Amino acid sequence: MKKIIIGDHIVKSFGEGDEQHIVLDEVSVEIQEGEFVAVMGPSGSGKSTLMFMLSGMDKVDAGKVVFDNQELSEVSENGLSDIRRTKMGFVFQQPTMLKNLNILDNIILPSMRDNRKNAGKISEKARALMKRVGIAELEKRDITQVSGGQLQRVGICRSLMNSPKIIFGDEPTGALNSKSAEKIMDIFSEINAEGTAVMLVTHDAKVAARTERIMFMRDGKIVSELNLPKFDGTDMDGRVEKVTVKMWEIGI
Amino acid sequence: MFYRIIRNDILKSKAITLTTMIFVAASVMLVSLAAILVVNLSGALDTLMTQAKTPHFMQMHSGQIDTSRLTTFAEQNSNVDEFQVVEFLNIDGAQIILGDNSLANSVQDNGLSVQSEKFDYLLDLDGKVINVSNSEIYVPVSYMKDNTAKIGDKAVISGKEFTVVGFLRDSSMNSSLAASKRFLVSSTDYAEIKNIGNTEYLIEFRLKDMSAIGAFETAYASAGLEMNGPTVTYSLFRMMNAISDGMMIGIILLVSLLVVSIAFMCIRFTLLAKIEEDYREIGVMKAIGLRVSDIKKVYLAKYAAIAAVGSILGFALSFVFKDMLLENIRLYMGESENSSLAYVLGIIGILLVFFAIMTYVNGVLKRFKKISAAEAIRFGTSQDKTKAAKHFTLSKNRLFNTNIFLGIKDVLSRKKLYGTMLAVLVLSAFIIIVPQNLYNTISSKSFISYMGIGNYDLRIQLPGNIDSIYEIEETMKSDQAISKFTVLTTKTFKAIMEDGTVENIKIELGEHSIFPIEYSEGKAPTVDDQIAISTIYANEMSKKVGDVMTLVIEGLEKDLTVSGIYSDITNGGKTAKAVFTDNSEGIMWSVISAELSDKSLVDAKVAEYADKFDDAKISDIDEFVTQTFGSTISSVEMASYVAVIVALVITVLVTLLFMKMLVAKDRYAIAVMKAFGFTNSDIKAQYVSRTVFVLIVGIVLGILLANTLGEMLAGLAISSFGASTFNFEVNQISAYLLSPLMMILAVLIATMIGLTGAGQIKISENIKE
Repeated sequence: MKKIIIGDHIVKSFGEGDEQHIVLDEVSVEIQEGEFVAVMGPSGSGKSTLMFMLSGMDKVDAGKVVFDNQELSEVSENGLSDIRRTKMGFVFQQPTMLKNLNILDNIILPSMRDNRKNAGKISEKARALMKRVGIAELEKRDITQVSGGQLQRVGICRSLMNSPKIIFGDEPTGALNSKSAEKIMDIFSEINAEGTAVMLVTHDAKVAARTERIMFMRDGKIVSELNLPKFDGTDMDGRVEKVTVKMWEIGI
Repeated sequence: MFYRIIRNDILKSKAITLTTMIFVAASVMLVSLAAILVVNLSGALDTLMTQAKTPHFMQMHSGQIDTSRLTTFAEQNSNVDEFQVVEFLNIDGAQIILGDNSLANSVQDNGLSVQSEKFDYLLDLDGKVINVSNSEIYVPVSYMKDNTAKIGDKAVISGKEFTVVGFLRDSSMNSSLAASKRFLVSSTDYAEIKNIGNTEYLIEFRLKDMSAIGAFETAYASAGLEMNGPTVTYSLFRMMNAISDGMMIGIILLVSLLVVSIAFMCIRFTLLAKIEEDYREIGVMKAIGLRVSDIKKVYLAKYAAIAAVGSILGFALSFVFKDMLLENIRLYMGESENSSLAYVLGIIGILLVFFAIMTYVNGVLKRFKKISAAEAIRFGTSQDKTKAAKHFTLSKNRLFNTNIFLGIKDVLSRKKLYGTMLAVLVLSAFIIIVPQNLYNTISSKSFISYMGIGNYDLRIQLPGNIDSIYEIEETMKSDQAISKFTVLTTKTFKAIMEDGTVENIKIELGEHSIFPIEYSEGKAPTVDDQIAISTIYANEMSKKVGDVMTLVIEGLEKDLTVSGIYSDITNGGKTAKAVFTDNSEGIMWSVISAELSDKSLVDAKVAEYADKFDDAKISDIDEFVTQTFGSTISSVEMASYVAVIVALVITVLVTLLFMKMLVAKDRYAIAVMKAFGFTNSDIKAQYVSRTVFVLIVGIVLGILLANTLGEMLAGLAISSFGASTFNFEVNQISAYLLSPLMMILAVLIATMIGLTGAGQIKISENIKE
């Protein structure tokens, strides 16, 4: 399998002088094409920061990140934007939507930057995705007129528009009730099954249990890993138990 | 506690606080300046006219004079306080040489006078009545202003040498609108050169009761006394003295009004943004039981602090600039006696601005009442969105680039916020264009047609009955360079009023359709029984177009219909025009107007005719306009430049302020866009689209407003000249191309500077869960 992301001894700290706080302490990580991984850890362990580093949204202090054979520190600011727009997808805990735009426009926004002429085709693709995640009837609504679970599906549609190589999810179910969360995870599983790599950052053992590899973080380091077989819809309880036991073992 | 909150808030938003303060300071400065100028102008004018004892009624007269008859009239009229006849020795400009400069090109009637005995004194620059010694001469102050003469210069008048020992203020002829200029010499010198010029008489009266001036004018006219020349009254003297600086004050007042409204807009904008930012906090404060008035206090205190500092700053600034603007008033009229009143009035003006601001802030804060605590805590923002932009969607957009679309969409979705910016830009465009159009209009050649003068190139003025008029006519007929010309002769006729009284009326006879003037009502007279009258006459005699008036022509009473009414500033504004022929003697003066087929020949033709015809006063019309309205035009020109600078500074500041606030408010949205792959240049393009979109709408509205409301306001200013109808003469390139370009440039620069912060927004810091 080809490696889509290689993080090599990543160091990141915030603040200066006495107040300096190391958030990532020489973290190394690799993600394969089509892999489904999760990063777990308590608040402040550095899991979200790791995601920002791997996606090029923030710069490393030391170490390097290679995405799709390109070392990100050597890519210009605009180049990073292009990579995020064409090869990555993002789903955040809070729905990151523009208030001015309706649901459909929010979904097609990143694609429209380059392909305005194909607005028709782009809208068609968006509608197909909306139908697939079950929000087809919402396209003309404002973002304030739909529920949190629906908005999260809107976010997923947006992240899929440019057929990315990887989707990053930062606590994508964190703000949802368990039923909505399960539906969202079904969608992520489906996307992954079609070959897109997915990296989720989560607190939730149930979310992590859906993936095939879980990295556990504490104090800016990856302290342990857990591999699981590909999820086939069965033995969910057993998988969750494995994750919980591991968490208990390493004390997070 | 207030102090701490205010200090923290101001430290957090330095740029915004500073900009608001600058606007408050600018508006306070202008209001204070306008107050200081108004008080000083009226005060200085009063001082001048009191010290000089300006005549209440003055009849200029050339020709024979019967002094004893006048004296009898003055003695018998119970309202006459004092009476005198002052001689004015009219001397051809070419015969007056001051230092190295000759007055040959002057369109003014320059002449010598001796100091008056009873009133209408000529004053020195200290406001004292001048006592002039032999071979000394005092020169009108306007020749000091334009650097024609300086103290110590040698003056040669018709060969006699004088030394310029000082400059004089002439309360009746200071203004460039007054056609004559008096030089002061001693009686001995005057007697010596009396024969070389034309003596004219100024028949002057001071009245016991000024309010009965109307009755006095009628009495004078019906007594059949000397009146071969213009009549001027006290109020007209006052108006002529005040007009140049009055126009400047008018423009400053207009601009200050606009700047005050811009200060309001800024405050409204920052407040709205601040409320949006603090929405959740306000909701929480309400939820925990604070009263709206308690919450308001925090905001009010901040603006009270800003307004107070701004006001003090503005008041101080007005002291820095006041001397510059008072220069002209001081030179022509001297110090004002009640200048301390100016400060009092200035402070009152400032207090008004201050309280207006506080009232306004209080009004804007009323919306606190509408904030629902529940909604604010749940959503953190106001939920009332405008729905108008709903159909303007990205999925249907084929027209615009995505960044431009997002920019325009944002403007349409936040109309309230951008509406404020729009209002400021509209006002800026208005401030740039209106004074410029006004300047362009009054400096254009055709403007004189509002003033009762047709649009021609060459003006030849001849006094009284002079045969050379026929020679000039013959010469012009055979002159290939002259495409058309007309001779207008002014004579006095008796008009019989409705109540039976008789008034003298000066009528300009000749063909009036060759160089038509602007008629505010009706049109030029074309047949013998028609007459057009000036606005002042029409008001005095309460005549309208179509009314009939009775004149005595060659001894017979004849009814003439009023065909039109026009504005006139010449000859005290009291003139009439008709086409009938009249063979009686008594031509007061004649004016020959001519148009040249080749405009570049004007100078040569002026010289040629001046050389051939000694008696005639020949002037190029541009020169005539420059010298007559020059100081007014230059005041307006100055004001129009100041207006452009003020408006551009406002535009830059407001755009900068706006951008800084938008970027601060939109941090989250910017971070989202960046996360999904929009580059910094994409973000910049979106913001530039927003401002350019607002700016274009602003410029269009500003131009529309300038051509409607602006034209109306300018018309009001112009009406003080005596002109009643008014249309802007627009310099298309400067008004519709250069000015918008300057604004666009200013806005783009300000936007780029304002956006520098947007590039530094970190996704990770703003999207954190």
